[in-house]
Amino acid sequence: MKKLNLLLIVLLGAVMVLTGCERPAVQKSQNGFRGTAMVDVQNPRINAEKAKLNELPPSTGAASAEGDKASKVYQNVKVLGDLSQAQFTTFMVSMTNWIAPTEGCAYCHNPANFAEDSKYTKTVSRRMIQMTQNINVNWKDHVQGTGVTCYTCHRGNNIPQNVWFKENPQNATGTALGNRNGQNQAAESVGYSSLTNEPFSKYLLANNPARIIGKDGLPNGNKHSLQETEDVYGLMMHFSKSLGVNCTYCHNTRAFSDWSQSTPQRAQSWHGIQMVKDINNTFMNPLTGVFPPHRLGKEGDVAKANCSTCHQGVNKPLYGKSMLADYPYLAQAYQTTVVAEVKAAAK
Amino acid sequence: MDYQNLFTQTQVIGPENHGVPINAYDQRERSKGIGFNYLLGKMGNAQLGPIYLGRLGVASIIFGALAFFIIGFHMLAQVNWSPIQFVRQLFWLSLDAPSPKYGLRLAPLSEGGWWNICGLFLTVSILLWWMRTYRRAKALGLGTHVSWAFAAAIWLFLVLGLFRPVLMGSWSEAVPFGIFSHLDWTAALSIRYGNLFYNPFHMLSIFFLYGSVLLFGMHGATILAVGRYGGEREIEQIVDRGTASERAALFWRWTMGFNATMESIHRWAWWFAVLCPISGGIGILLTGTFVDNWYVWAMNHGMVPSYPATNIIDPSIATPPFSPAVEGVK
Amino acid sequence: MAMLNFERKYRVRGGTLIGGDLFDFWVGPFYVGFFGVTTLFFSFIGTAMILWGAAHQGTFNVWTINIAPPDLKYGLGPAPMMEGGLWQIITICALGAFGSWALREIEIARKLGMGLHVPYTYLVAVFAYFSLEVIRPVLMGAWGHAFPYGIMSHLDWVSNTGYQYLHFHYNPAHMLAVSLFFATTLALSLHGALVLSSTNPGAGKTVKTPEHEDTFFRDLIGYSVGTLGIHRVGLFLAVSAVFWSAVCIILSGPFWTRGWPEWWTWWLNMPIWH
Repeated sequence: MKKLNLLLIVLLGAVMVLTGCERPAVQKSQNGFRGTAMVDVQNPRINAEKAKLNELPPSTGAASAEGDKASKVYQNVKVLGDLSQAQFTTFMVSMTNWIAPTEGCAYCHNPANFAEDSKYTKTVSRRMIQMTQNINVNWKDHVQGTGVTCYTCHRGNNIPQNVWFKENPQNATGTALGNRNGQNQAAESVGYSSLTNEPFSKYLLANNPARIIGKDGLPNGNKHSLQETEDVYGLMMHFSKSLGVNCTYCHNTRAFSDWSQSTPQRAQSWHGIQMVKDINNTFMNPLTGVFPPHRLGKEGDVAKANCSTCHQGVNKPLYGKSMLADYPYLAQAYQTTVVAEVKAAAK
Repeated sequence: MDYQNLFTQTQVIGPENHGVPINAYDQRERSKGIGFNYLLGKMGNAQLGPIYLGRLGVASIIFGALAFFIIGFHMLAQVNWSPIQFVRQLFWLSLDAPSPKYGLRLAPLSEGGWWNICGLFLTVSILLWWMRTYRRAKALGLGTHVSWAFAAAIWLFLVLGLFRPVLMGSWSEAVPFGIFSHLDWTAALSIRYGNLFYNPFHMLSIFFLYGSVLLFGMHGATILAVGRYGGEREIEQIVDRGTASERAALFWRWTMGFNATMESIHRWAWWFAVLCPISGGIGILLTGTFVDNWYVWAMNHGMVPSYPATNIIDPSIATPPFSPAVEGVK
Repeated sequence: MAMLNFERKYRVRGGTLIGGDLFDFWVGPFYVGFFGVTTLFFSFIGTAMILWGAAHQGTFNVWTINIAPPDLKYGLGPAPMMEGGLWQIITICALGAFGSWALREIEIARKLGMGLHVPYTYLVAVFAYFSLEVIRPVLMGAWGHAFPYGIMSHLDWVSNTGYQYLHFHYNPAHMLAVSLFFATTLALSLHGALVLSSTNPGAGKTVKTPEHEDTFFRDLIGYSVGTLGIHRVGLFLAVSAVFWSAVCIILSGPFWTRGWPEWWTWWLNMPIWH
């Protein structure tokens, strides 16, 4: 009788542990020298689910560049003016599908007067188009020739599903007890660990170095604290979760800082960090005054990008399939005339 | 299947054992309550109690309870006093050490001051408990080996929470009070200081840790294996060697060419277990104070195996990091 | 003859599992036995392989010698000698030697009329090695997942394997195993100290009794497990620590691919409080 009870308890424990686990047969690929355990471990069942979310939207193909320019045909065209009319209208339809499939053209335009700038979404989307072009032209170090379109972040949503806002660092009531210190809470942003919940302001907005490890064996002026280390660790957890990979995708963890032991992906990701800082500082932050209050965060700040905004759990957004063949003008440089208009609208 | 001496088959209940008599004052400090537990009796002694209260013990419990409740109420406050969320988020909650900007000063209560107070109370509690172990041994005419073993553990505790933070000039280097948070601290320490696996005192400490588990497996198994000869009567076997000790010693002599005695195995045990926190404490104390990057240190001492280089260059050498324009930046 | 002064009467024939009287003798203090011969055989070959690998690597620095398993691309098949084949042979020799050692311990215990607790405990430790170098690689489909033979290189493997799961400290079985490791060390220090404190009470004092030992712990914490009980507890703690260590690594990879902190979401998302 006692043996049966013991057996039942053990079985219950096993069930509890195992229901939290995954069914085996995993895929792995080697990232480093044999025996170093730099291995990418993937669960094909989870990846099959992800694949469904990473299919390209339907496209009618590249439109003809022949014919009158859009700036001549339509009024108040401030960006993409030198597209052909066919390209311009195809792009408008595509962009609507990518960002406002339910709301349709009225999400940005006044249906009675398409040229009007009465809706904030029109101002924002002009800047976003320029941001897309900026990424595809100036950040090839990160996005290569694959590039991005609106769909890469938005995926059919008005607001991309993975954006971040600033948080009040003093979560507590400010009284003597209960300060969470910006951490000690299971946050998805840091993979449900209790590390610093919002490491993005520090490293993807402001320009703080993530290099906290010293170069010399003996102390030589490295004053970075353990708290800063935890901040960087939290950021790295975000990187891993956003790309669906682990730390050894980029690093040989015996010496995180040593580039001669890191993989090419680490260099590419460094460029990615710089790119995200550019996106947040040059494009997103200046748009703060344009968005209505319900689109802003608790601290009144604008939605900002981090790795998961594009990557959404996959090491290459949309599994590395490029949409630029049908929208080549998204990979052309833009003129900066729109910036002044944005500043005016923000007032 | 034969009896394997793992669980007691027949439990004999005798009169309550009130312990070896000590002086009249101390006798009064022993509690009245004595009970018997069947499950405990299947494994070892069934008797629970009496416990010796004493001034040192009571004081230790008070300070310890204060520390415990400071941590607990701080955690409860972190979830806005919801008991349900307290249970749900318990492992993530934490009483953190002050931020680096306070150095070694007492931080405001809302920014780590409670950690300082809690740490002080816990330290006092532990030191009082140490004195208790010493007094109880002396009162019974025993050697003080338990106290000195405990002292090794206290050394590690003080290194982590007091000596090293003081040498580093900042309470922020100390360990937080929290389940996951203290594990985050462990990982952060290793990341910040260049991979603790390359710290030779860390290696020694792990050697003694695994060695202790090995030794207790060996010693526990050996004594149970000679249980039929009264092997567990170790004191008697030490002063008057019987066939249990002889067979136990010969088992190991024939297996590995050398052996301990019934007494000396306990010296092996004591030293292995005690050297784990001692060497670990030294390793922690040297980290950050005298060594900033253990991997580089090990490289300079010819200890690092080489793997084929990946030939990746630091991209910030060729390309400056993106710097936000002066205007509109936080 | 390297015999202790009471040893001769214990050197009897018998207790062997294989070979009868053929190898039932001693060399110096060591018992040989059939499995002593096989242990020597496997140990010799394995060590020779390690030295060959070190020579090929070009170093005899004890810290940097590294015999690595094959690339993942070889799967569970044999690999070329200098591309992981050496590692495979050494692993076979290791398992052969460890198994032989256990069986030899069984023979010795039987000869001495002892229970088989020691060899069984040893086999739990061998199980941990077997989990790391055989069970987990087989479940994951390649010998390349096993740890290399080298003092520092095996630690590099530990570091990277841990970070494959982003923050290995959050692995619940690992938490249990580590706690059991620390508890075993605590219990060992207490047991060693208690026995020594009874038998070494200080100059000129009398040796104490088990009643003193019990009284000390009852005074201190209200309970004393006793002389037999402590050995059961110690053995249980040690074996449990090793068992849960094996569980924690077999789970990682075959049964869990994400970061270990994320595993805890089942608790956070329970319907009663989500």
